Amino acid sequence: MKKSSIFGLVVIAIAIAVIISVYSNSSTYGSFKDASNTNSELHIVGHLNKNKQLLYDATKDANYFSFYMKDNKGEECKVVFTGAKPQDFERSEQIVLTGQMKGNEFHATHILMKCPSKYTQDKVEITEARAKQASI
Amino acid sequence: MDNPFKGEHLLPGHLGQFFTILAFGSSLFAAISYYFATNNPTDTSWKRVGRMGARINMIAVVGIGACLYYIIINHLFEYYYAWEHSSRALPTHYIISSFWDGQEGSFWLWTFWQGVLSNILIWKAKSWESPVLAVISLSQAIVATMLVGVEILGSRIGTSPFILLREAIDLKKEVPIFATNAEMYHSYLTYVAKDGNGMNPLLQNYWMVIHPPTLFLGFASMVVPFAYAIAGLWQKRYTEWIKPALSYSLFAMMVLGTGIIMGAFWAYESLSFGGFWAWDPVENASIIPWLILVGAVHVMIVYKNTKHSYITATILTLTSFVLVLYASFLTRSGVLGDTSVHAFTDAGMFWHLVADVVIFLVLAVVLLVIRWKELPRTNKDEETYSREFWMFVGAIFLCLSCFHLVVVSSIPVWNLMFGTKLAPPTDPVKHYNIVQASFAVVVTLLTGFTQFLKYKKTDSAKFFISTVVYLVVAALITLPIIYFTGANKLQFVFILIMVGAIYSVLANGKVLIDSLKGKFKLAGSAVAHIGFGLIMIGALISAGTSKVISENTSGQDFGADFVKVKNNPRENIILYKNAPVVMGKYTVTYVGDSIAAPNHYFKVNYKIIDAAGKVTEEFLLKPNAQANAKMGLIATPDTKHYLFSDLYTHVNMSNAIAVGEGTEAAGHDEADDDKKYEAPIPYEVAVGDTIRFRDGYVVLSSIGKVDKVQDITLNDKDVAIGAKLHVVANSKTYDAEPIYMIRNNNAFDFARKVEDAGLKLRFTKVLPQKGKVEITLYQQPESAKKWIVMRAIQFPDINFLWSGTIIMVIGILLSIFRRNKELKTA
Repeated sequence: MKKSSIFGLVVIAIAIAVIISVYSNSSTYGSFKDASNTNSELHIVGHLNKNKQLLYDATKDANYFSFYMKDNKGEECKVVFTGAKPQDFERSEQIVLTGQMKGNEFHATHILMKCPSKYTQDKVEITEARAKQASI
Repeated sequence: MDNPFKGEHLLPGHLGQFFTILAFGSSLFAAISYYFATNNPTDTSWKRVGRMGARINMIAVVGIGACLYYIIINHLFEYYYAWEHSSRALPTHYIISSFWDGQEGSFWLWTFWQGVLSNILIWKAKSWESPVLAVISLSQAIVATMLVGVEILGSRIGTSPFILLREAIDLKKEVPIFATNAEMYHSYLTYVAKDGNGMNPLLQNYWMVIHPPTLFLGFASMVVPFAYAIAGLWQKRYTEWIKPALSYSLFAMMVLGTGIIMGAFWAYESLSFGGFWAWDPVENASIIPWLILVGAVHVMIVYKNTKHSYITATILTLTSFVLVLYASFLTRSGVLGDTSVHAFTDAGMFWHLVADVVIFLVLAVVLLVIRWKELPRTNKDEETYSREFWMFVGAIFLCLSCFHLVVVSSIPVWNLMFGTKLAPPTDPVKHYNIVQASFAVVVTLLTGFTQFLKYKKTDSAKFFISTVVYLVVAALITLPIIYFTGANKLQFVFILIMVGAIYSVLANGKVLIDSLKGKFKLAGSAVAHIGFGLIMIGALISAGTSKVISENTSGQDFGADFVKVKNNPRENIILYKNAPVVMGKYTVTYVGDSIAAPNHYFKVNYKIIDAAGKVTEEFLLKPNAQANAKMGLIATPDTKHYLFSDLYTHVNMSNAIAVGEGTEAAGHDEADDDKKYEAPIPYEVAVGDTIRFRDGYVVLSSIGKVDKVQDITLNDKDVAIGAKLHVVANSKTYDAEPIYMIRNNNAFDFARKVEDAGLKLRFTKVLPQKGKVEITLYQQPESAKKWIVMRAIQFPDINFLWSGTIIMVIGILLSIFRRNKELKTA
C-alpha cells in the first residue's frame, strides 16, 4: 500500500473521531422535566417569570442570583446561578440556560439571554453571562 | 418633487444610492468584459473596457464611503444607519468606527479592500490580469448586491446604508400621534430623530477603530489566491499560478492573522468574559478560513519545491475562500442566534448569503471536475524522510483542526438542515480546548522537526539525532517552566503543547541562526514559526494558569446545599468603599469614583504590603461603566500590565452608578436625606471625648465660635459655635465641623457629612450645665454605603502571545519579500 493511502486512512479515521467526539459532547435542548430525569447537563430555552422574585443582593452574596423561569412547555422552576446578575436581566425576552437539576432547583452554569432592543422592535440583541471564567 | 418632510437632507442619500447601483453595475460589467478578454486574448479592447469597469467601480465604492461618512459626521439622523450607529456625543474617532458598526458598513469595508486589490492587480498581474480580475470582479459584484437594497419581485436584495429612518421603521406605528397628525409626522425630525442611538459602549475602544479594517482586508485579500487558482484551471496554466499567488496568500495570512489577534486583544481589554478567546462561533468563523489558508500556503510551497501535491494545493486554496464566504454566512445570517453572543441578527439576507457561498463553491467544483483528468500529478510516492511529506501532513492536520471548528460552530446549521435538535457542548470552551490542543501538539511538533528535513531526501540517521537531541532539550526546558508557572497541574495534552511549542522555537531558532550565517532566505519561515510557538506558549500559560484572585470566601447563608455545589466558582467579591480587602498578595480598596461623561470610573486601589507593613507597590485601576439609558449598564474592565503578568479587574455591579446619571435633579430636602441613614443616635460629649461607630470613631477636639456660616451673614446678635470633630474611619482621617446657631431665640444647626465614612454629624444641643454638647450621629446602613462587585483575574505571561504575534507578522513579511524577489529573478 502506498504511504499516501495509509495517511489518507489515518485522516479519515481522525475525521470520524472528531465527528463522534463532537456528537458525544453535544448536548440537547430540553425542558425542566427532562432535566429532573437526567444527571447530565442540558440546555433549556424559556422565559423569565417577571412576576416572581428575582433575588440578587450583592451585599449578602455577590455570587448568588436566583429567579424563576418558565420553559417552553410552560413548566416553571427556580433557577440558581453562581455569579453576578447579568446586566438588564429583567428585560430579557428569551433565556437559554445550561446546567442541571439539583433537588428542586436548576443550577445554571451559563445564561444566554436575548433582549429586545428598546428602539426597534424587529431587532434583538444578545448578551450572555457565564458563571465560570474561560479556562482550560 | 416636493418633499413634505421638513429638515431632511436627501441629496447625500440619493447620491450614495446612485453609487451603490454604479458599484454593482460597473463590477458586473468588469467581470463580463474580463471574461471575454480571457477568452479572446487577441482582442485587447475587452481588457480595456474591463479595466475601465474596475476603475469606475473603485470610484463608486469610494463615493459610497464618502456619502455615508458625510451622513454620519454631519449627524443626519434622518438616515437609519446614522441614527442606529452614531450619536452627537460620540467622539470623532469613534464616529469613524460607527461607520463599520453595522452589517452594511462592514460589507463596504470588504468591497473597498477588494477594489483596492483589483487595482493593484491591474497594475501588477500582467498576463494573469484578465482571468484573475474576472473572478475578483464577480466577487465584487456579489458583495455590491449586499449593499444595493432595491426591491426586485417583492423581495429586497441587500440592505442599503442609505435607507431613511422613516423607511426603516414605521414611525406611525411607533409614535401613534404621527398617524393622526400629518403635520407633526412631516416634521418628525424635530421629535424623534434629534439624536442617534450611539454606539454600543463595548465597541467604543480604540481597537475597534483598527480591528475591523484589518480583519476585512484579510478576508478581502483571500479572494486573490482563489482567483489565481481558478485562473490556473480555466486557462490550463495549471502549474504557473502558484508562484504569483504565493505572495498574495502570505499577505492574506499575515493580515487576517493580525486581524484575529487584534480582535482577541480587544476582547481581552474591553469585554467582561475575562480572557482573550472564548471559542464563540463568531471568533471561530474568522479562524476557520485562516487555518485552511495556512495549510494551503504550506502545500503551495511543497509544490513549488518538489512538484508534489498540486491537487491538494489547489483544493485548499479554493476551499479557503469558500470558507470566508461560509463564515460570512454564519455570522451575518442570524443562524447562530441561540449559540453566539455577538453574531449579527438576520437582516433578511439569509438566502442571499447562501447564494454567495453556493456560487463560488459551484464555480470551484465545476472547474475542478472539468479539468480533473488533466491536473498534474506525480505517481512517485513521497519519501518518508523528506520535508515535503511532513509539511503536507502538517497542512492536513491544520485542515482537520479547521474541520472540527466547522463541525461544532455549524451545529445550528446541521439542525436546520437535518431537523435535529442538537445543542452545542455544555462546556464548549473545555471541549474546544481539548480537541484543538491535540491538533496543536501535532502541528507544533511538525513545525519543529520538519526543519531538520530536506526536500526530496534526507539522511535519516542525522535527522533522528538532531530531532531527538532538540526534543530532549525542549522537554528539559519545559519542566521548570511548567513547574514555576503552575502549568504542571493542567491536563497532559497541554503540557505536550508546551513541549511542542518550545521545541518549535528551538528548532526554528537554529534555522534562524544558520540563516544569519548566510542562508538568509530561510529567515522568514523560521521567524514566523518562532512567533507561532510563542503564541502557543503565551496562550497556554495565560489561559491555563490564570487565577481569579477575587475569590470570595465569605460564604453566605443561602443554605449549605448551595455552598456545597462542586466547582462553585465564587469569583465575584463585594468591596465597600474605603474598606480594604485582602486578595492574594494585594490589599484592594475601592476608593472612589470619577465621572467623565459618559464614563463612570471606579477607582480601585491595589497595594502590596510586605511583612513589615510597608507598602512595596501601589497602583490604581479604573474599570469603568457606562449607564447607558438605552442599553443599560455596560462595564469595561481595566488591566494592570506587567512584563510577565497582567492583572485584570472588572466591575460587574455597583450601587454608585445609576442609569441616567448626571441628569438627576439636585437638592433633596432634609427629611428625604435622613432616610438614607439609620436612626440617629445623640451623644453627650465633652471636649476630648470619643464617639465610636461601626467603621471607626469620632473625637471632639474643640468647640469654638465661628464667624461665618456658609452664605449666611451673621450679625452681632447671632451666636454660632462649631464643634471641631476629628473622624477616623477605615484608617483614614477626616475633619468636620457641624455648627450650632442661635438667631432671634431660635436654634438652628448645620449638619456636616463625611461621605467617605458614610456619616452625617449634627451639633444638636449645647448643655452648659454639664459642660457638654450633644452631637447626633447619623450612620449609613451597610447597604446604603457605596459598593462595587468586582472580579479580578491574574493572567501570567500573556505578553508571549502578543509579542509572538508581532514576531510571526515580521516572519511572514520576510517571506513575502523573499517570494517577491524570487518572482523577479525567475
